[in-house]
Amino acid sequence: MEQFGRRALRVGAAGLVAALAITGCSGKDLEGGNSDSGSSQITLKVNFWGDMGLDQLKAKYEAAHPNVKISLNTGEYQAQHQDLQKKLVAGSGAPDISAVDEGFIVQFREQADQFVNLTDKGAGSLESKYLPWKWQASKSAAGQQIGLGTDVGGLAMCYRTDLFKAAGLPTERDAVSALWKDWDSFLQVGKDYTTKTGKKFIDSATNLFNPILSQQPVGFYNEQEQLQMEGGPKVGFDIAMKALDAGISANLASFQPNWDQGFKKDQFAVLACPAWMLGHIQKTAPDQAGKWDIAAIPGGGGNWGGSWWTIPKQGKNVDEAYKFVEWLIQPEQQIEVFKTVGNLPSQPALYKDPAVLDYKKEFFTNAPTGQIFASTAENLKPQYLGKKNGPTRLAVENVINRVGQGTLKSADAWAEAVKEAEKAANS
Amino acid sequence: MALTDVRVAHKEEPKHAPPKRPKFWLHRFDTKTFPYLMIAPFFVLFAIFGLFPLIFNAVVSLRHWHLIDKEKNGWVGLDNFTKLAGDTDFWDALVNTFGIFILSTVPQLLLALMIANLLNRKLRGATFWRIGILLPYVTPVAASSLVFAVFFSRDNGLANWFLSLVGFGQEQPLDWRAGTWSSWIAIAVMVNWKWIGYNALLYLSAMQAIPKDVYEAAAVDGAGPWRQLWQITVPMIQPVVLFTVVLSTIGGLQLFTEPMLFDENPAQANGGYDHQWRTISQLIYRVGWSDLNLGYAAAMSWALFLIILIVAGINALVTRRLGGGK
Repeated sequence: MEQFGRRALRVGAAGLVAALAITGCSGKDLEGGNSDSGSSQITLKVNFWGDMGLDQLKAKYEAAHPNVKISLNTGEYQAQHQDLQKKLVAGSGAPDISAVDEGFIVQFREQADQFVNLTDKGAGSLESKYLPWKWQASKSAAGQQIGLGTDVGGLAMCYRTDLFKAAGLPTERDAVSALWKDWDSFLQVGKDYTTKTGKKFIDSATNLFNPILSQQPVGFYNEQEQLQMEGGPKVGFDIAMKALDAGISANLASFQPNWDQGFKKDQFAVLACPAWMLGHIQKTAPDQAGKWDIAAIPGGGGNWGGSWWTIPKQGKNVDEAYKFVEWLIQPEQQIEVFKTVGNLPSQPALYKDPAVLDYKKEFFTNAPTGQIFASTAENLKPQYLGKKNGPTRLAVENVINRVGQGTLKSADAWAEAVKEAEKAANS
Repeated sequence: MALTDVRVAHKEEPKHAPPKRPKFWLHRFDTKTFPYLMIAPFFVLFAIFGLFPLIFNAVVSLRHWHLIDKEKNGWVGLDNFTKLAGDTDFWDALVNTFGIFILSTVPQLLLALMIANLLNRKLRGATFWRIGILLPYVTPVAASSLVFAVFFSRDNGLANWFLSLVGFGQEQPLDWRAGTWSSWIAIAVMVNWKWIGYNALLYLSAMQAIPKDVYEAAAVDGAGPWRQLWQITVPMIQPVVLFTVVLSTIGGLQLFTEPMLFDENPAQANGGYDHQWRTISQLIYRVGWSDLNLGYAAAMSWALFLIILIVAGINALVTRRLGGGK
């Protein structure tokens, strides 16, 4: 017995030594340099996806704040959000500042205790500057403000003037807007285009479904968190089905390599585009400058996407992070982002600013992007996004894509969509 | 008793004067403690990265832990497992996992055996071939999966180009991701490509240990190469075969990266728009990180752990029987 006790102790001690050897050195490395604020160097890690127009701003801020270094980390949209979620659960590793999109803000708002309450840092004074719904959307039920709005979507329809011309369609933006007063006439234009050229008209049916859904007063859920499939989702779904039946969709999954290829290979001629999409088009197909233009979207306004800057609580430099975010959302910076990538500010005062109002985007045949998007954003009636909005949208998109793949008949698709959405709602 | 006791300094040995205290301490440390210190890192790492997650997972699986349904937080006992039993998603994923597992493991091990048998002969540039066969294994699985994802793409994929050479899919290219079987085959190809060489080298090293005169004797008795393979080689490398079967069972049932990256949008963890090829690992990821239901995801992980234990056990048993082992 005695023997055993001593041996067990020895084994334990040996383990302890090894454990210290493993953890001891790494701990030291991680602390290095960054721990005390003030004069020492601070690195702020900023996570986002795509291009949020921060490249020039970073240099500007660093020049004004020699002790702050900004590290920009762009990634895939969904992956960045999932990564943030994992780090929140793990309790460490989250960036100092993280962008969160409309599709995920509900999820993170529900975990507001993981984020710095920005009103504690003095963000309350900014409220009056924001579109009221934008301010509310990132606020938890208990009143914690977890994010400062960067941009809103707005909605318009981007189209390729060269492809329209080749198909004998008008190319001037007002004439194009007049072509599609509603979604049915839009589908008709698509059919004409496809018959004439033999090419597909839209990129994917889900990229019809989502903007149409966002035009509806009620989305997947009402404010009591009940699934509302027969309302907004049905409207969008039916038009998506019609588009698939008409054979005008190239069936390319958004933001994936094949989709980007589709831009370059002229696989589609129109693309529903919120303001932030402009940046993506410019980046994906830089040599198509002047071939794109922006017309009105059928069915009027609506909002698709738009993001917030959030500060996870676990960061070591939350004060510096807040200073940077507060600087980022100042009009001057917002306008610069608007000019470089096209993201529309979420502060309505800027919609009257000549820098926004008179701005013309050369890449898009000098379209007045400020005017186009500001008018849709200002008149917008925001849609309530339920807690399970993300998974539900994914489930319904899957059903639409199955029809696109030909493994499901469009006639059976709605019943399937309802079934899948209910499953997601109960997940 | 323990290994270390063999070298314990003998107290009653009269030849040496009792060693001085510090030296004695050093000696004792060397014989008694040091061996434990040497093997400790594995056990410490295993405890941190193996045992702890396993136990923690079991604890979580008995709780409700939903990141956006916080009000329900708390112990639920076996509720998650009851829910699992009636969850068609889980059973569908299990079918997919087994389908892909069989499509990959069986050809993989058979081909590895054939290749090892070929490499075991006298070859010119044997080392070149032996290293060459291992190259796919060295390639990062994420990199190779991405290449295969393009290889099997609908519009511009090489796989469809090959098919078109034999006159298949002229008017409508095969959409590998749309069908159940086509997607399973595509993923099985990725898995096979990566692991055949690895298993072949394992087999080869075992084959090298078989005495040459056994074959010579067999040849004299008139056994052809085929018969030699099945009646001499396979039984004699049986422990290694068993090892590879268990290893590929574990790997195959945990299949994650390949099906994940085969998706057009990997982060969604769909496993196909109709979940045609969604494996259990993928489903766990989806439930945990997209539906945010961590308690339920933990229950699934534990169920998978148990399934792997059972299947690996059965496989080991069957392999032993087939090999005519003890």
